[in-house]
Amino acid sequence: MSTTKESTLLSPELLAQLERLELVTRKVFRGRMKGERRSKRKGQSVEFADFRNYVAGDDLRLLDWNLYARLEKLIIKLFLEEEDLHFYTLIDASLSMDFGSPTKLEYAKQLAAALAFIGLIRADRVRIETLGQGVGERGPVWRGRPSVWRMLQQMEAIEAEGQTSLATGVKNFCHRNPGRGIVVFISDLMDKEGYETALKYFVSHQVDCFVIHVLSQEELEPDVKGDLRLVDCEDQDEAEVTVSAPLMKRYHQTLNAFTKGAQEFCSRRGMHYLLANNQVPVETVVASHLRRRGLVR
Amino acid sequence: MDSLFRNTLGPTGWIIIAMIPPAIFALYFLKLKRQPLEVPSTYLWHRVIEDLHVNSLWQKLRRSLLLFLQLLIVALAILALLRPGWQGQTLEGQRFMFLIDNSASMSTTDTPTGVSRLEAAKRRVGALVDQLSGDMSAMIITFAGQPDVVQEFTDNRRLLREALERIEPSASQTDLTGALELADGFANPGRITIEEAELDVEVTEQQDVELYIFSDGRFRGVEGFSLGNLRPLFLPIGSFEADNLAITALNTRRAEDRPEQQQAFVQVANFSGAEQRAVVELYLNDNLLDAAELTVPPGDIASTTFALSERSEGELRAQLDLPSGFQDRLTLDNRAYAVLENRRDGRVLLVTPGNNTLEMALSTERAARLAVVETIAPDALQQPKFQEQSQSENYDLIIFDQCAPETMPLANTLFVGRLPPVEEWKKESSPERLFGPQIIDWDRSHPLLNLIELGNLAIVDSYVVRPPAGGRVLVDSTIGPIMAIAPRDRYEDTVLGFEIVGRTEEGATAFNTNWSRKLSFPSFWLNVLEYFASREAVSRSIKPDRLVELRVNSTDDRLTVELPDGTVQQIDLEQPGRLVFHESEQLGVYEVRDSIDVVKRFAVNLFDREESDIRLRARQEGEDGVTVVDSLAIGYVDVAAQSPTSPVRREMWKLLLLGALVVLVLEWYIYNRRVHV
Repeated sequence: MSTTKESTLLSPELLAQLERLELVTRKVFRGRMKGERRSKRKGQSVEFADFRNYVAGDDLRLLDWNLYARLEKLIIKLFLEEEDLHFYTLIDASLSMDFGSPTKLEYAKQLAAALAFIGLIRADRVRIETLGQGVGERGPVWRGRPSVWRMLQQMEAIEAEGQTSLATGVKNFCHRNPGRGIVVFISDLMDKEGYETALKYFVSHQVDCFVIHVLSQEELEPDVKGDLRLVDCEDQDEAEVTVSAPLMKRYHQTLNAFTKGAQEFCSRRGMHYLLANNQVPVETVVASHLRRRGLVR
Repeated sequence: MDSLFRNTLGPTGWIIIAMIPPAIFALYFLKLKRQPLEVPSTYLWHRVIEDLHVNSLWQKLRRSLLLFLQLLIVALAILALLRPGWQGQTLEGQRFMFLIDNSASMSTTDTPTGVSRLEAAKRRVGALVDQLSGDMSAMIITFAGQPDVVQEFTDNRRLLREALERIEPSASQTDLTGALELADGFANPGRITIEEAELDVEVTEQQDVELYIFSDGRFRGVEGFSLGNLRPLFLPIGSFEADNLAITALNTRRAEDRPEQQQAFVQVANFSGAEQRAVVELYLNDNLLDAAELTVPPGDIASTTFALSERSEGELRAQLDLPSGFQDRLTLDNRAYAVLENRRDGRVLLVTPGNNTLEMALSTERAARLAVVETIAPDALQQPKFQEQSQSENYDLIIFDQCAPETMPLANTLFVGRLPPVEEWKKESSPERLFGPQIIDWDRSHPLLNLIELGNLAIVDSYVVRPPAGGRVLVDSTIGPIMAIAPRDRYEDTVLGFEIVGRTEEGATAFNTNWSRKLSFPSFWLNVLEYFASREAVSRSIKPDRLVELRVNSTDDRLTVELPDGTVQQIDLEQPGRLVFHESEQLGVYEVRDSIDVVKRFAVNLFDREESDIRLRARQEGEDGVTVVDSLAIGYVDVAAQSPTSPVRREMWKLLLLGALVVLVLEWYIYNRRVHV
């Protein structure tokens, strides 16, 4: 653990907790290298998969000699291949994420780091990207426990900047990473053009997608009073409100509709959705909420 | 003036008022400064506001709720300024006079609201004052025993209302005449009439004055008064059924059969429709002495006497214990007061060489009840015993018949047929007796000549007596004054210029006048005893609000009078021994003190059946015999009573202002608590 000592993203306790976990995907993808996961590919492992008739050219080592003795037929015994898993973390690092205490971005980074750590120690391929990256800027791929501290360094370097359209960001991401695997998308989904287009890209990309919707306490329970001119930190858009009880009620209704809508949208398209409040510790989210959702085990 | 609204502002005021609503609009649309606040995204907020925009009209209404409330406040205030009202009794005229009766009977609590009549009258005047418009002026006069200008003519309604608050109930009798005279004086200020060829030409313009008389009418009409340009309106206050039991008399005197014993006499009057049984309690210095039950027929009186011990002294109080269930509407007259003084018989010294008629006049049974009369001969004047007694205030009165002392004694004196040995008397009077005076006139108002008829009196000869400064001529004749009285220190000297019985030169007695045969002769001497020597067991009961003149045995120049309510007043005496006191408005016992001790007590009582009969005077009117309040006679004018429930314009500006205040509070609440947008 000496590698992560200086990291603020992951505490030693959390790391200890995370070491026992692994990333789960319902879908079986083809990996690129030998790993610890079952692959669609048949190959070498201890786990039996199937029998098939021998055809010329097959490796004789795979013949089941016991069957040949009994049936006088050449049968080949197939085993499951174990490969690695592609694990992508896509963080929304727009300015709007730079709010709250801890900021939503900080929170997102912690979550991403925790998940990436799990991936690394299970020999998965971990790639961390942000929405603002261009099509050509591919992030590095980390693999294996030794990469933990570099992964964390990369993570810590992520700063909130600029305004990114969700749709563009996700499209770029998909273009950059044609491979399949697990995508954890951490965002506040606050996009005036809507989040739907963005999420549809994931669907079409056929990845196992987790949407972690991070909202700060200030957004869930705004503590505002009086006559206000609300300024959007991204596009300087203004909204004039006079705070009142019915207005707040209406806000909560809208917020509920928003989160419910996102959840429904995701579940209809086979995506996982998790609403995370920045006041809930990352440990709880990972160990309890994400476990329940089936991202980790 | 009888419209629903009544303008209170001038054009300038209205212009300013009219500018307020646009100003509110303007202020409202000059948007309020909103606090900028940076948020992660206005995404949700826009959706919230969009939601609100859906039912936009209603939302706009709600958003400007504060504006509407503010406009409502202004609207209410403007409406209040218009002073809407209804059922108005209109005030017509320019100048008003409100005469408010604050006599004893106005303390009756028989109004429907349970307040006293005076309070009801004040409220009605207050309502009328509220209706005065800018160009009207009014004044307020109260009348009971004395009229009192509470507020002179003014158009300042605040002053009038304050004056109204100052009016206090009194215990006096009602006398409208003074108030009317006062009103007349105020109604025509500076009236100058020039008599020219028997034609009155009035110089100043006459203005009609509306005279509102608020009273219960418990007094006789006013005679010999010309209303002139006063236009009276009688607004009776009270009801026809107001029960009252009253003590109408409390006296003490010697019992007829046992002169050494004193008696207290109490009379109770019943002013209700049914026979009443009341208990009269008699207290001496707050200790219950005795009680008696009286059955008083309706509208009648009943009386009782209580025996008092000889040496009783102090404050006597009679008090009515009302029968249970009887609602006595006027409580002022349920108590009566009297003062019992330790009675020392008056001492009178008669110095005469012998005068049967005079001695007989002074030795009647009644005279004996008033004073003890000693008789000595003129020779005794030289004896040291007389010298000593005359200089030590031993006698209340010394009568010198046909003789005179060398120096004036320290006592009241009455000289018969002689002049006092004082230069002031002798200087003015005739040195010799003049023959055959015929009496022209005599001072009937002086107590000495009270009820004395001196006409047709034959007198042979008499001195002409002219009193020194401060004196008073009592009997005037063809030759000049023949009887006079003058003060000397704290005594009074009376001089009768003619002898009753004289002596001829031969020394035989001869009648100088035929007065001794007249009925007035013993009466005069009784008056003399009563005036100089008698000490009534009960001093005369004094009516409230009247001038009190008392003789007190004190040499101090300044006396203190303690009023029944405990307040103390310092009174400077103009003449030693004579107290003149004005502030006799309260009922009860007043104590007069000098630097040493209590020198006199006197009681003030209502004792007025007219005031105690608190029912409105009723009259049957028309064929149906409807009971109406009797009219008020002023001079030759009968002032008809207005309906007792004469409607006063009911105004709702106070309610409107209250409403505006409530709306203001509501607005404040909404603004601070954000109940709605």
